[in-house]
Amino acid sequence: MPAFRRFAQVDVFAAAPGAGNPLAVVVDAEGLDTRSMQAFANWTNLSETTFLLPPTLPGASYRVRIFTPRQELPFAGHPSVGSAHVALETGFASAVDGQMLQECAAGLLPIRVDEGPRRRLHVRAPSARPVAMQVHAALWPPVLARLRLGALPPVLMDNGPRWWLLELADEGSVRSMQPELEAIARLTSATGAVGLAVFARAVAADHRLVVRAFCPADGIAEDPVTGSANAAIAAWLHLNQRLPSRRYTSSQGREVGRDGFVEVAVDADDQAWIGGQIQTVVTGTLAW
Amino acid sequence: MVTGLGSYAFAQVDVFSVRPGSGNPLAVVLDARGLDSGQMQAIAAWTNLAETTFVLPPSSAAADYRVRIFTTRQEIAFAGHPSIGTAYALLAGGHIRADAAELRQECLAGILPLRRVLLEGRQTLSVRVPRSRIAGHTDEGYALLHRALTGCALGPLPPALVEGGRRWWLAELADEAAVRTMTPDLAAISTLARQTQSLGLCVFARANHGLVVRAFPLGVGIDEDPASGAANAAIAAFLDEANALAELGNAYKVSQGREMQRDAQLLLSIDGERQVWVGGGCDILVSGELNW
Repeated sequence: MPAFRRFAQVDVFAAAPGAGNPLAVVVDAEGLDTRSMQAFANWTNLSETTFLLPPTLPGASYRVRIFTPRQELPFAGHPSVGSAHVALETGFASAVDGQMLQECAAGLLPIRVDEGPRRRLHVRAPSARPVAMQVHAALWPPVLARLRLGALPPVLMDNGPRWWLLELADEGSVRSMQPELEAIARLTSATGAVGLAVFARAVAADHRLVVRAFCPADGIAEDPVTGSANAAIAAWLHLNQRLPSRRYTSSQGREVGRDGFVEVAVDADDQAWIGGQIQTVVTGTLAW
Repeated sequence: MVTGLGSYAFAQVDVFSVRPGSGNPLAVVLDARGLDSGQMQAIAAWTNLAETTFVLPPSSAAADYRVRIFTTRQEIAFAGHPSIGTAYALLAGGHIRADAAELRQECLAGILPLRRVLLEGRQTLSVRVPRSRIAGHTDEGYALLHRALTGCALGPLPPALVEGGRRWWLAELADEAAVRTMTPDLAAISTLARQTQSLGLCVFARANHGLVVRAFPLGVGIDEDPASGAANAAIAAFLDEANALAELGNAYKVSQGREMQRDAQLLLSIDGERQVWVGGGCDILVSGELNW
């Protein structure tokens, strides 16, 4: 007989249900082995499913394991923010002085909790660094065909996952981009990258940056709202002294029918934080 | 909580499962009164499942309930696994009376009967599927089909395009191993689906007093489906039309989904009026509320 566990499916980086990136969270995951976690993450068919466990490290508020339909990840942005929200909503963990410490395979990561009429959560992303990479000369031209490029050169950034980052000329160039998915898949597969994220400065009331992320080699043509890519972009802009400001909001997902907002900050120690609002869409029990 | 949200009874059901997680997931909004079509489509896109269903009061006295079925992209008239999973969730949740042996589901394809059968100690449901027919196609269509089947050892029946609401290309392969070890050429199947306005390609072979099946609905952007109700009903109708059911009889089991780490079982039967029924068991994995 299956056990009954508390379960939630939340919408991350969303000001309203359906605007963000969905995440399935199994709250009382003790007793599940790795294989059954992987099987359930395959069944939900979401980009990530997480499992909340009691912490094993001193100081940690909770422990989380993060799975895609195919594999376990050491860290990912939207699963961290969404898991912290569910831990708070269910009383699985609590914040002390607006802080929590998430234990995950990438280590201990601090989470800032801003309670208010609408709770906002932010996680410090693992440090990002550019990776020197020789790329075969034939790989980039088909990706860049017909794109209007920005000032910065393309870069491969590593903050756990590796993202190719490409600045485009302006918001319109990002929003109207027709991605060459097969060319992007060849580029990312050949270089060990999870995907390609394009971005540009924006002049809008509610966002200063616009982002789109393509992961065709991983079976996801376009990801609706991407925490780790936004953190990598912030680190890259900061290295080049081109941040819109130390804190800004990025818009992502409109081209796939969503409307996500990622709140980005670079702190005094030059570390990138990403976060935003989370909507609790499904609450219930899981028989698994 | 954002004001203005409604709360709806919700279940996520594993359909055609032999154990939890072995089948095809379905999201069910058990009482969708208050949601408009745009919201239903947005919810179905967000669940990211092959289908999400929305239950409403019937508009006809001849039906027990009405269901609207959405993929991540559009509303569809009928599909097998959403029909079975929706009925199972309604019965398990006490939303419809549990004493009747037969249920009547109203959907865009009309009013369709479902039957409850206790099989090997387990409650199963079967739905009568609008019968599909073999449709002809141009030489160009067959050329695209053969490109998609390059490298596959074919079985005795010639492949065909079938039509029954949605269109599928069906191809019998030589044996179970040919189906299970097939590496689908996704680009070729995608081209086939697009050029022939079909869902894609379904392959099958005879195995263990039944069939082994794999379905590649690239026409709706899905590489492989773990358990396909309507496609299996189309295969049954195709075999019946080709007089190729003799060894299987009028009721057989299908194994599907193992190649994608599932293990679904479907029950197919053909009744005295040559109508095709597809069914199986279900497990309710998630039950709770949806706030939208």
